[in-house]
Amino acid sequence: MKVNQINLQIPRYYRKWQQFLLKQGITGFADAELSAIDRTYIWTNEQREVIATGSLAGNVLKYVAIEPQYQAQGTMFNQVISYLVNQAAALNRFHLFVFTKPQYVKSFEYVGFHCLAQTETGAILENGTPDIHDYLNQLPHVADGKKVAAIVANANPFTKGHRYLIEQASQENDAVYVFVVSQDVSLFTFDERFKLVKEGTQDLENVMVVPGKEYMVSYATFPAYFLKDDQNVGRYQAQLDAELFKRQIAQPLGITTRYLGSEPYSKTTDVYNEELKQVLPPEVKVKIIQRAQTADDEIITATKVRQAIRDNDLQTIRRLVVPTTLKYIEQHMNELKERMNSNGN
Amino acid sequence: MEIKQTALAGTLESSDIQVTISQGNHGIEIDLDSSVEKLYGKQIRKVIIETIQAYGIENAKVKAVDKGALDCVIKARVMTAVQRALGTSDEPNWEVL
Amino acid sequence: MEERLRRTMMFVPGNNAGMVRDAGIYGADSIMFDLEDAVSLAEKDAARILVYQALQTQDYGDSELVVRVNDIDSKYFKPDVFAMVKAGVDVIRLPKTESAAMIHQLVQVIEEAEKKFNRQPGSTHVMAAIESAKGVMNVLEIAQASDRMIGLALSAEDYTTDLKTHRYPDGAELEFARNMILNAARTAGIAAFDTVFTNMNDEEGFKREVEHIHELGFDGKSLINPRQIDMVNQIYQPSQVEIEDALDVQAAIEEAHRQGSGVISMNGQMVDRPVVLRAQRVIRLAQASGLLNEEGEFIEE
Repeated sequence: MKVNQINLQIPRYYRKWQQFLLKQGITGFADAELSAIDRTYIWTNEQREVIATGSLAGNVLKYVAIEPQYQAQGTMFNQVISYLVNQAAALNRFHLFVFTKPQYVKSFEYVGFHCLAQTETGAILENGTPDIHDYLNQLPHVADGKKVAAIVANANPFTKGHRYLIEQASQENDAVYVFVVSQDVSLFTFDERFKLVKEGTQDLENVMVVPGKEYMVSYATFPAYFLKDDQNVGRYQAQLDAELFKRQIAQPLGITTRYLGSEPYSKTTDVYNEELKQVLPPEVKVKIIQRAQTADDEIITATKVRQAIRDNDLQTIRRLVVPTTLKYIEQHMNELKERMNSNGN
Repeated sequence: MEIKQTALAGTLESSDIQVTISQGNHGIEIDLDSSVEKLYGKQIRKVIIETIQAYGIENAKVKAVDKGALDCVIKARVMTAVQRALGTSDEPNWEVL
Repeated sequence: MEERLRRTMMFVPGNNAGMVRDAGIYGADSIMFDLEDAVSLAEKDAARILVYQALQTQDYGDSELVVRVNDIDSKYFKPDVFAMVKAGVDVIRLPKTESAAMIHQLVQVIEEAEKKFNRQPGSTHVMAAIESAKGVMNVLEIAQASDRMIGLALSAEDYTTDLKTHRYPDGAELEFARNMILNAARTAGIAAFDTVFTNMNDEEGFKREVEHIHELGFDGKSLINPRQIDMVNQIYQPSQVEIEDALDVQAAIEEAHRQGSGVISMNGQMVDRPVVLRAQRVIRLAQASGLLNEEGEFIEE
């Protein structure tokens, strides 16, 4: 038996790899799933047949599959996962995730993964260090018996709308966690977004602005390649995200209310809010706050702010964002526009 | 000696143990995942601690997923992880070895 | 050189904890822990330490313990040799040997290590793997390069690549190298090991190859699977006639000792040293095959 790293950009390897996965019942090969892969390995037997494969996409293990006749006692599975974990470590990735069907949760737990959330269609597990416990330990904690709320925001950038939502939560609770999405896929970098949320809420003493790390990413990026074509990907992703928040974040931190902004524009976010309402209660109440509007009934969104940056429209920006954000945009206008031009944000 | 860089060694295959060592501040903290924890957990922890201390390291976080490793395998994997964390893999500490 | 049986040299991947642990239970004459080809670059350090720890603590019975270290030009070579000398390994096997100078270089590092770790000078033996045409052409100087040398081994994968061919079932492509290695080994008075046979599904082919190298005169074969050990031992098992002849020689030796005579004779003829050595080897083989007991008597089947 041999293990080789293969380059999926080369059609010959891609076909071989895809054929093997199709045979194992994996049918999802969407671009979004494939483009994240940066390492792929295949195991072959003496006859040069593929008997197993596994990939790394950043810190996510993906497309793990093993030929059924080699599955006995899980030896091959352990070998494959072990190899992937070692390869990841060599790339300085020590904190790994896997998204898989519920029936494989046990197998991954056997090799040291911990299940973070599970629904009928899928599960998310993590392994390595730092893990969810390390994450929670780093956060500020609120004394028992207090009324605690949470808001998750990308804040790209921080607007009067975000401010309004946080103010509402701040007034109605003893303490509020504002989780800023850590994933860096937005026009404003995480450091910028985090700083602007912090500055924009500095006067609200019961508000704690914290990074969401890997636990509050854009749920739409949750791998779903292992789902069948007729399964609802969006629902699976939203449910899993909601379960993750409820079990791993809300419960240990004593969060009893999650605040959301209403979503008049985005259908995906609307579906997401619906799923949160299904999954979170009764332990965590869901409170949807009407979107804040400007003096002339204009709905405030970060999308509009980004458009205004593109248009060099400081007037509009001034209407939509808080003074701290405005100041930052004014000082960095050219740099932001350059970023927009270079990556199409 | 202090651990600054995280490092991993060993595998999840039968008779082996996978050890991840990272920076810590409260002595040597061990998170052990073993099917024989009840029977041998104490012994496994002892081997891990003694091996790390032999390098003069007082603080470290250790995660270990044990698949039935013998003491000598545990020792070997911990040593490999420590040397990787210290960046001395190709100049082993002969006194500790 | 110490005379011992070397019918089977079992390869054990140096980073496989389960196989390193179990290597002693199959009764191989020699166990070769591999730090080279069987270990990926990222795991060289891990394998070195694992084999070191295992050598320190595990009981491998009477097996001769061999470690194949990494390439002499690699950065792993020196730490490999140092660790193995410190662990007290019997033999260090040098891969890709092409000249006596390479053996001298290995011996120099071993001497340094023996001194550093207070090991008996000269206690670490060496052997050379011949893996290229150049190695084959220089094999006699390699065999005679050091009195630490205990053997030569053919490594066919790299050798056939170097010759611009590959392995065939009849082994014609290896014939010259096998004869060169064997004759050099005999000239230097050391052992000769044949290459591995990798297709585990071709049992007939394996047997054919072992029979062939046994006929040529090789001491034994390199193995990648413990299942192959019994098959080799069966082929190396001496016949009843060979054993009886050997026992006759042994009786003559004892008779000479009893009479205080320096000359061994049988049926009025002097017995030559090669005949004595062969008889001793046959008796060792017969004992190892379970055909003779410690006292040199036939064990009833």
